[in-house]
Amino acid sequence: MSSVTILLFWPFIGAVAAFILGKANKKMAFWAAEIVGIALFAASLMLWINYTVPISIDYTWFTFGETALPFGIYIDGLSIVMLLIATGLGLLDIHFAHDYMGEDNDQARYYAKVLFFIGGMILLVIAKDMIGMFVGWEFMGLASYLLISFWHTKSAPANAGMQAFLYTRFGDVFIFAAIGLLLYFVGTLDLVEINTMAKEGSIDHSVALVIALFIFVGAIGKSGQFPLYPWLMNAMEGPTTVSALIHGATMVNSGIYIVARLFDFYASTEALLVVANVAALSAFIGATSALVQREIKKVLAYSTMSHLSLAFVGLGVGSLAAGMTHLMNHAVFKALLFLAAGAVIFAAHHTKDLWRFGGLGKKLTLIAAVMAIGGLSLSGIPPFSGFFSKDAVLASAMVNPDTQGLVSVLATIAGLLSIAYIGRVWLLLFTGKPRDEALYESVKKPSFLWITLPLVIMALITLGLGLYQSEAAEFITGEPYVQPHVDGLLIGLFIGLGLLALIVFGLYYKGLKLTEKISNHPFLKIFHQLLFNGYYVEYMITWFSKNIIVASVAKAATWIDLHIIDAIVNGSVGLTQALFKRLKVTQTGLIGDYAGMMVAGLAALTILMILMEGA
Amino acid sequence: MFYLTLIFGPLFLAVVVYALFRNFEGVVKYIALALFAKMLAASIELYNALPAEGYLKLGSFLHVEAFNYVLTLQVDMLSVVMLILSSLLLILVTLSSWTMKNQAAYFSLLIMFSGAIFGVFMSTNLIWFFIFWELTLVPMFFLVGIWGAEQRVYAAVKFFLYTHVASMLILLAFYLLYAQTGFLDVTLIKEAAIATPALVWWLLFLGFAVKLPIFPFHTWLPDAHVQAPAPISVLLAGVLLKMGAYGMIRFVIELMPESSREYAIYMLILGLITAFFAGFLAIYQTHIKKMVAYSSISHMGLVMIAIATVSYEGLSAALYEMIGHAFIISPLFLIAGYLHHKTGSWQMGDMGGIVQRAPYVSAIFVLAGMAALGLPGTMGFIGEITILISAIKVNGAWIAVIALASLISAGYLIWTFRRVIYGEMSPVVASADFKMHKIEFSALVLFAGLIVLFGLYPQPIFDAANQAFAHFGGVQ
Amino acid sequence: MSLFALLFGGALVSPLIKNMALLKLFALLILLWSGYALSQGAGVGLVFFEQSSYVRLFEAVVLIVSAALILHLDKEDHGTITQLLFIAAASMALLESTTLLSFVITFEAVSIISFVLVSNIKDATQAEGAIKMFFAGALASGIILFGLGLFAVSGHDFNASALSVDDTFGMIALFIILIGIFYKLTIFPMHTWAADTYAQVSHTNAAILSAIVKTVVALATFKIFMPFLAQLGEMPIYLLAALAVITMTLGNILALYQKSIARILAYSSIAHAGYMLIPFAAVASTYAPTGLLYIAVAYIFMQSAVFLVLEILRKELEIKTLDDLKGLGQKNPLYALLFTVQLFSLAGIPLLAGFIAKAVAFYAGVDAGLWPLIMIALLNSALSVGYYAWIVKHIYFDEAQTKGVITGRFTALLGQLILLGGTIYFGVIAADIFGVLS
Repeated sequence: MSSVTILLFWPFIGAVAAFILGKANKKMAFWAAEIVGIALFAASLMLWINYTVPISIDYTWFTFGETALPFGIYIDGLSIVMLLIATGLGLLDIHFAHDYMGEDNDQARYYAKVLFFIGGMILLVIAKDMIGMFVGWEFMGLASYLLISFWHTKSAPANAGMQAFLYTRFGDVFIFAAIGLLLYFVGTLDLVEINTMAKEGSIDHSVALVIALFIFVGAIGKSGQFPLYPWLMNAMEGPTTVSALIHGATMVNSGIYIVARLFDFYASTEALLVVANVAALSAFIGATSALVQREIKKVLAYSTMSHLSLAFVGLGVGSLAAGMTHLMNHAVFKALLFLAAGAVIFAAHHTKDLWRFGGLGKKLTLIAAVMAIGGLSLSGIPPFSGFFSKDAVLASAMVNPDTQGLVSVLATIAGLLSIAYIGRVWLLLFTGKPRDEALYESVKKPSFLWITLPLVIMALITLGLGLYQSEAAEFITGEPYVQPHVDGLLIGLFIGLGLLALIVFGLYYKGLKLTEKISNHPFLKIFHQLLFNGYYVEYMITWFSKNIIVASVAKAATWIDLHIIDAIVNGSVGLTQALFKRLKVTQTGLIGDYAGMMVAGLAALTILMILMEGA
Repeated sequence: MFYLTLIFGPLFLAVVVYALFRNFEGVVKYIALALFAKMLAASIELYNALPAEGYLKLGSFLHVEAFNYVLTLQVDMLSVVMLILSSLLLILVTLSSWTMKNQAAYFSLLIMFSGAIFGVFMSTNLIWFFIFWELTLVPMFFLVGIWGAEQRVYAAVKFFLYTHVASMLILLAFYLLYAQTGFLDVTLIKEAAIATPALVWWLLFLGFAVKLPIFPFHTWLPDAHVQAPAPISVLLAGVLLKMGAYGMIRFVIELMPESSREYAIYMLILGLITAFFAGFLAIYQTHIKKMVAYSSISHMGLVMIAIATVSYEGLSAALYEMIGHAFIISPLFLIAGYLHHKTGSWQMGDMGGIVQRAPYVSAIFVLAGMAALGLPGTMGFIGEITILISAIKVNGAWIAVIALASLISAGYLIWTFRRVIYGEMSPVVASADFKMHKIEFSALVLFAGLIVLFGLYPQPIFDAANQAFAHFGGVQ
Repeated sequence: MSLFALLFGGALVSPLIKNMALLKLFALLILLWSGYALSQGAGVGLVFFEQSSYVRLFEAVVLIVSAALILHLDKEDHGTITQLLFIAAASMALLESTTLLSFVITFEAVSIISFVLVSNIKDATQAEGAIKMFFAGALASGIILFGLGLFAVSGHDFNASALSVDDTFGMIALFIILIGIFYKLTIFPMHTWAADTYAQVSHTNAAILSAIVKTVVALATFKIFMPFLAQLGEMPIYLLAALAVITMTLGNILALYQKSIARILAYSSIAHAGYMLIPFAAVASTYAPTGLLYIAVAYIFMQSAVFLVLEILRKELEIKTLDDLKGLGQKNPLYALLFTVQLFSLAGIPLLAGFIAKAVAFYAGVDAGLWPLIMIALLNSALSVGYYAWIVKHIYFDEAQTKGVITGRFTALLGQLILLGGTIYFGVIAADIFGVLS
């Protein structure tokens, strides 16, 4: 069986198997998922090892009229990297869930959805055409909806799932429209061909711009860019393993992937600049908001937003290599951070509030260590992988004359702030004195095999990846990689990072009391609230949909339907009633009246007749 | 002759069955099931027997030379697809009605309906078409009026009158066509290829638009669909609305392609308004079955948009969406009815956490809902994307706004899931008994299976559509 | 043997038979014999009377419906049989009359027998209905005589077989006669008495008046006045069309919110008179005679059937108003079904005679270029579905009130089945009616 077949079909077969087996025996679901996970990863590895030229399979899904909708497979370096991320991290995530989800009664459902999720991502990255891509894209939308609201008996996860689906769906309809427009204006849905045509300049410029922007709106939704990011934070209501899957391995990467996949197409228009600007703004919003969150996972969620945006900035400023390597690195360290956070949360009986932890370093030393590695990589400290790619992104931004200004500034701020928020999390978790003694006492060391081992593996990858950045970049882009260089950038970055590290250390290790005072200061509290609520974008969107769409437009439509359209229909009854009443008067029941009417009628008709015939 | 008995047989059988088995109610559903299975088999036989192009003549009966009043039975691919769809739905409706009360009368009416609906799709003589068209109203009137919910009488009478008025427009148009051409057979009128006056076009369009239904003629639908028992809502949405679309394609588009192209913009605008207006109505609904009903209207708006392209591809998309709509809306109606039956409430606010009590039914509800909002892998997606592509091809880029319709669908459906399926269990749900008869459940599973099957493998339907519309006169 | 003589003789002999069962048997035999004679080509057989296949078909239908009526009759309706036979005899003559004179004479004969029929009074209500009809009838006879006088004065021969005039005076005279005849057809403005009478006299009599007499008069009038109608200019045709519209709309709207079933049926009968007037206005179409014949045939079956069912319901269950009907479907499914089918036929629901009759008659209008008239007629027909469906709603959709079960005599049921057979047969098979003209 070829690797492609395995990748394409096994996740879905596995999902069904996991569900059915899991219904028979809880544990069987896990094993089914684990085996499928291993198979998928092995298949991806095989593809990587045997990779020489891109695999391209053409297939027509269906033909209607004279239009054929294709469903081809295309696997190149970019796809393989995405596959390795999705299946590799997916496998570790499944493995981790053995304990993390071990107490849940609904494991059959859990693993089935996870496999479906991974299957969607695989489909997305190996599809040759917009159609296949969109199918995978939407499968993930469905899977994320189901997984985020996995604990659906509570309101918050159910709401979060709904929000995730609707926010991403908003973007999806633009991609959906883009498919129609592509087919009409460009004549093909083949992603590779679109790139080629764009390079040749055979696509009308303004058409290309509109389509590229439409697709980017979809990417904004899926990859949590401004203004569609709030779902990303609320998605933290799902199990932490799901968060790791969404934020590390799969879903949020898809938006970046699609822009990367259509990179030449984007590069042929000004859409790339739009990408860079939106992404830089998002990076800034994410980084600043991450500074003040109370929950571990929310910090990580904002940091995901910020770092994805950096990857987007990389693409936006014209460097596919920088963007994609950052995406790759981020996937690994973010999955690591999430799972490490998950390990802490699991050990602390599903406590997520940072202010209740403290001093856990003594108990969870190994986890603290791997989280430190992830954190350092995220902050961009050499020799961890994050350093190289972040540096490349910022340098590329500064090199590009179009993005030297605002984009570079925002991206740099976002890049620097990462050490602040991740350092804050780490310090609050593992150092100082326990702030909740009872909780501290109850924390137990997690199992090595099921919890710590995957973390260690990821930590090692994070370390190792740092060595192979340019190889990875070349593999992805298929072109020789030139590290962009800006004089003084490194020094500047280090100074900034060092300063921030000191401030954070001071605030959260030495002066927690002072920190509390600062954050309670009435004037600063405004800023705190602004950041804490993610710049109130969610409030605005919610307000708009509640008050404008539901309470105004939909309500008005209902009113019109009821009081005008249906009222006219039902009013016809009233009309006949009125007519009935008027006509009934003629039926007096008195024969004298009747005879009078007959004679009068005769006279009138005869006169009419005389007039007509006489004329 | 066999095909004549397919129409008149059920009409006759309905009376016989009722007379004989009024006191042995349990038997009737098996008779109905056997009959519908036979009808499905006959339809599939027709499918195999069809020539590559044009009509398969099945015979003509009851000649009246003077009035060209001949019951001509002939089918082409379009009608055969409708026959298969109708008989399949009848089977599924029978399964879903397994525990319906007062079964002898109920299934007799269903049997009667089956004969009428076969007549609609098999006869090409305008008058006979109209006869069967109207005849379908009678069993529906009783099915809604007797087995319906609280407001059933209002709904049944409104449905009957409203659609009957619309039928009158159709009949007048048929008259005018006959007066002009001297033919009553649709194939002959088509061959005559006369320049049809605008009046005829508008009469037919409005007549079928009510059945479809199209804004602003849709208000009968929520009442009828909501008050009807759930399996009858399925029949209304799955078969009766499809009659409207079938009539629109057969008599408006096929017969008058020139006029249709001329007035396509009106069809398109009304279709667009329908899709969006009904979508917003669905958003505002708290009544679960009304929400489904408005969703149904919204999707029929898409069908109208597809028909308005007056193109080969648009019609293929319309046919696909018609079938898709039948399979998608049906389980939604069935489950909405089931939830009302079990909880005693129509309000979504009273529900919540249903999935904890009825996980598999909820799963099918979510699946069908996802299909309704156009999730790939289901029939909804294929329908929407083909409509989008064909509409852009004819009307240009701006028509891509219909993508927003599926966003609106997502809005009301996902919100419905949130209120009904997920969340904390409401006291009403906690105290209700969610048992479902196995056979009724199997109907839901079959619907779900069909949604996914044709969602992944749509080619058979498009093959049929290609054959149906490849030689459609006047369509580009 | 002459058809007329047979029926007339039978009617004369019938009072001698006192035993009701025997009398019914005798009447049926007479009708059977007449049918046989009819099939052998017998007609009235007098001068100024002529039989055509068109008339023959309707004569057969009248005989069949009369038989069904007789099967229905009860002991107390002893006299009705005699009158029915008289009406049948006069109907044959009226249908076959070829000149204005013979037409007017036979028309008056039918009128007179009708007066006798309704004067079979049992209570005050019936008396009121009978008197209204009598006054209106007297007035109408006066109008007809007035017209006839004018016709004679203007120097026309009312014994000519073709009723063609070319002067205004004659035209007006004939028009006045037509309006006089409209009294029997219950066309606006001569309709006023009809609703009261139909609703107030016994339902059996109402069946005879509104079904048999009305259709016979309509057909005979059309036959006689066809040349006259064909001569009318555009405007007078529009006038007729306007009368048709007013009559049907008036009838339908007044039927809508009535509480008494008999009244609904009475007004629906007026509305149907409006439909019957369409072929008069559409005389230019070759479909007009067929349309009228069809509507007459359909109407005679369904209208007599509904009034006869109502008679049974009233007698056995005291059903008079819509509220009394509630739950009939559950308690008496058979009669409920019979009633419903005929009501649907009246409403114009397909596969029943009422539909195809309207379809053909209305088509005549379109064929004559009067499509706006037909539009209104079609919408009227849709409107009428409102009250028919409303009756059906009471029968089936409402909870049953405690009520007995109809025991029903077998002969009455047989009569109903004959009428049902007619409604369904002519609803599916149109060849017979089209056949008589080709």
